[in-house]
Amino acid sequence: MIVMDRKKYKQLRAAVALFVSAIVGLAVVRDSYLLATAGVLTGMVFMFLVRSKAKIRTDERELTIQEKAARMTYAIFAPTIGIAAFLMMLPTKGGISVFSKGEWLFMETLGMVFAYLTLFLIVIYAISYHFFNKRYGGGGNEE
Amino acid sequence: MGVAAMKNKLKVYRAMHDLTQEQLADKIGVSRQTVIAIESNKYLPSLGLAFKIARLFKVKVEDIFIDEGKEDENDN
Repeated sequence: MIVMDRKKYKQLRAAVALFVSAIVGLAVVRDSYLLATAGVLTGMVFMFLVRSKAKIRTDERELTIQEKAARMTYAIFAPTIGIAAFLMMLPTKGGISVFSKGEWLFMETLGMVFAYLTLFLIVIYAISYHFFNKRYGGGGNEE
Repeated sequence: MGVAAMKNKLKVYRAMHDLTQEQLADKIGVSRQTVIAIESNKYLPSLGLAFKIARLFKVKVEDIFIDEGKEDENDN
């Protein structure tokens, strides 16, 4: 089995993505669904083969960085988008949002989308937290 | 809560075994950046990696990694 470090794997993935996007671009110009499908499938199969034949060496420091970045992204993104959703849907006059008329009408809809997005994010976080908590020995009462 | 502050002698052991950072990184399966970060005490390796390093140099973990006792807020 070939050992490949993460950096090389990322470079390879970028090259494959470039190839697939070029093929899809060409397919759009030629108006050919077949070419686009073939391009995407080729890319997917190639990446699948790379992942199954080569052992990708992950650097633990990089994993730590990714974990920290993900945590920070969540900590910033969830409240920001939640507060934005709340402000956009803020009822002022008789339970109707301040944005729910005229040219600002879309703001309330956008607020709704943001609210669902926030809920989705929190649900995903809760599920993955529960999953990893169980995986790493949490939740049990064993002594 | 932070983790215990650690110092390490990785650079010393690496020099004793005449290894470059790149060679050491290859032997323990990490990037050169990780070796640099460990040597400069910016990154605390996992227990598995610490044992791997100790095994490579045929010493005990505590010979390379020294616990300074006090708590450090800058955990990783």
